[in-house]
Amino acid sequence: MKDVEFDAVVIGSGASGGAVAYTLCKAGYKVAVLEKGRLIRREAFSKDEIAYCRRDIVTPNLFEEYHVIEERVDGKWEATPSYESGWSFWNGNIVGGSSNFMSGMFHRMHPDDFRLKSKYGPIEGANVVDWPISYGDLEPYYAKVETLVGISGRFQAHPFEPPRSTPDFPQPPTKENAVVKLLDKSCQALGITPLVTPRGVLSQDKGHRNACYYSNFCGSYGCSSGAKSSARESLLIPALATGNLTLMSNTHVKQLHSDSKTHVSHAVAVDTVTGKERTIRARLFVVAAQAHESARLLLNSANRFHPDGLANSSGEVGKNLIFSGGGSGQGELHEDSLREISFKELMQTGYFVNRSILDWYFIDDWWEGKFKGGSVEFMFEHQNIISRAVKSRYGKERLLWGDALADRLTERFTKQKTVRFEIFNDWLPNDNCFVSLDPTHKDRYGMPVGRLRIEGHPQDVKVGSYIAKKCEKVLEKMGAKHIYSSVSATPPQNLVAGGCRFGNDPKTSVLDKQCRAHDVDNLYVADASFMPTGGSVAYTWTIYANALRVADHIVEVLKKGEV
Amino acid sequence: MRVERRAFLSAAGMVGAALCLPQRSDAAAKPDKALEEAVTVIAAVQRHMFPKGGRLPDAETMRMTRFLTETVSHPTYDRDIRVFVIEGAKELMLREKGKLLGYDRDAMEKALRRYETTDYGSNWLSRIMILSLEAMLGDPVYGSNVGEAGWRAVHSFGGQPRPKTRYIQL
Ligand SMILES: Cc1cc2nc3c(=O)[nH]c(=O)nc-3n(C[C@H](O)[C@H](O)[C@H](O)COP(=O)(O)OP(=O)(O)OC[C@H]3O[C@@H](n4cnc5c(N)ncnc54)[C@H](O)[C@@H]3O)c2cc1C
Ligand code: SF4
Repeated sequence: MKDVEFDAVVIGSGASGGAVAYTLCKAGYKVAVLEKGRLIRREAFSKDEIAYCRRDIVTPNLFEEYHVIEERVDGKWEATPSYESGWSFWNGNIVGGSSNFMSGMFHRMHPDDFRLKSKYGPIEGANVVDWPISYGDLEPYYAKVETLVGISGRFQAHPFEPPRSTPDFPQPPTKENAVVKLLDKSCQALGITPLVTPRGVLSQDKGHRNACYYSNFCGSYGCSSGAKSSARESLLIPALATGNLTLMSNTHVKQLHSDSKTHVSHAVAVDTVTGKERTIRARLFVVAAQAHESARLLLNSANRFHPDGLANSSGEVGKNLIFSGGGSGQGELHEDSLREISFKELMQTGYFVNRSILDWYFIDDWWEGKFKGGSVEFMFEHQNIISRAVKSRYGKERLLWGDALADRLTERFTKQKTVRFEIFNDWLPNDNCFVSLDPTHKDRYGMPVGRLRIEGHPQDVKVGSYIAKKCEKVLEKMGAKHIYSSVSATPPQNLVAGGCRFGNDPKTSVLDKQCRAHDVDNLYVADASFMPTGGSVAYTWTIYANALRVADHIVEVLKKGEV
Repeated sequence: MRVERRAFLSAAGMVGAALCLPQRSDAAAKPDKALEEAVTVIAAVQRHMFPKGGRLPDAETMRMTRFLTETVSHPTYDRDIRVFVIEGAKELMLREKGKLLGYDRDAMEKALRRYETTDYGSNWLSRIMILSLEAMLGDPVYGSNVGEAGWRAVHSFGGQPRPKTRYIQL
């Protein structure tokens, strides 16, 4: 293909890139999606634990592409390349991005998440600001995601459940393990309201996609029925059907070239198989490479018009990177002390736990005071067989083998089931959490790798710990044994946002409220980079919704011939 | 130690019931002489960990050593860990003054527990155990977990669909 000019080039084919591509293609525009990973079709997805969960197969080889992670150790910043630590910040690099591998626990952000600073006031050491849009601006798109991408669930009124424009979800909830009887009863006894988890998983067939068949191996795996609401299934396949989408897999974008202060002319891309470089032209460019990589791409696109990085006159590109605060905990339900349900029911595989708690989204505690809290998801421990066995390999002090290992594995696999909770609270944006370019390390294409300085705010751990104690009480009430939780400032690398804040002031933000770069007329960033604060839920529903909103705006811009 | 740091970080991992923290890899690794020499020691250790007549499928029937050599020689495998697997075997042999392969079950148990008292030895044994568990409980397409005996032993079975090729046809 030579010098075709597209209406839009989208960099990254994940949740955000897919939503933009879908909308533009449906509106009749010619779009190229450039994706550095390969295409794995639905039929090729299997439940191969070794391939998906124990090797770098759907993410880059860390020797060739990596990050440098800076953490504070004994008061000093220590930088470690991720090929050395193995702490990978890649989350899924194939067509459809990380959305292929998500667990699909979806929540909308609360209206107050859009005005955190006005509502709760400033927090020392945290760069909290209000969003330039309100929940009302995003609500129609949250609703659209439910029907377009597919979210199953059941609406239950709750003081912290955001208002909605439609009465209920388009599909009923996914099937539930009987353990929810015990969980619900335990919560109710404690005065806690358990809610059905909205899930980016189809409970019924939808067009070319089949309903979930409860494979028992969801998070970290691609879905072979099309039930999981990945960008590949829900958006790219329909976008391809329009005939307007050119999907270029194995195409890594190393730079965006600007030919003036306000205009990007082309993307410089490398074919990851042949190593050949090419330029791809378009009327406008949409960056959707997942937050930390989008910021790196802009910084790596510096030239004489943009000496500090593309669209970086504010100096804000890469700043205020956020993850999800919180932590997790677990307890074991044992055959000999199980109540309410039979052990056989508990051990039934495949069905979801499907329960969330929003009771602590905003906390008003007689002792601790009033503060922003978070949400909780309950689930079974991941059912991966190898990793559960690996976790069981130690006895009190030493490695088990022979019959001692057999006894331990029998106990672990056949006499109990572990219930987990995960807490999601704000990762407060702060000056010590950002992405910049590493001064020495380069990727296989010769471009500086991202250097991620990571530090959480003490408030994040305080909030997480408060909620963890409440969740431990739920597990206790359920009769679980060996209960523990772990809350720390270690980021979950799969939930990342920020780095290109949107806002009304070009001096303090990178993007305007439509996620167009303040500095560059034909450049948009559509992934979670725009988020100045992250709310207290996993990001993907918001990512999908905002990308659809941005895409509608882009359609208007293209229609009016503004670029 | 870096290998340990990697393991620690894996445990800290992602949220969303996700366990998938890929390990680092090496594009150039090939089976070599060093590995061949280490293999007899590793096979003896695996036989001790998963003996015949035990309550778990045994190392030999499950072809655990072949799985291990093929795995650590594959381009997707971490080259540091591969070197560690080889060096750790040599170190064990050295510590036992070359007599390890002639040990009976009791002597082998003592030797391995002695090795385990050192950080290095304990990490190495743990790595051999992890690779052996991968063999026993991975999909049979990788040549081990013969007849799904590993899965049957823990009453847990891999999900559907099962892989038709190793490493998603890499
Ligand atoms: C195991 C797992 C479980 C998860 N569970 C949940 C959950 O339960 N709930 C939830 O809300 N979220 C969950 N997530 C997170 C969710 O997947 C992400 O929030 C979402 O996919 C992010 O969308 P994105 O468009 O920003 O990035 P992605 O979907 O990751 O897409 C980015 C794409 O850009 C490509 N790319 C990057 N750089 C370049 C470049 N230079 N050139 C070309 N292409 C490039 C990447 O290869 C990738 O395919 C989970 C993620 C994982 C990995
Ligand atoms: S079938 Fe259901 S449980 Fe399995 S991967 Fe797909 S959505 Fe997840």
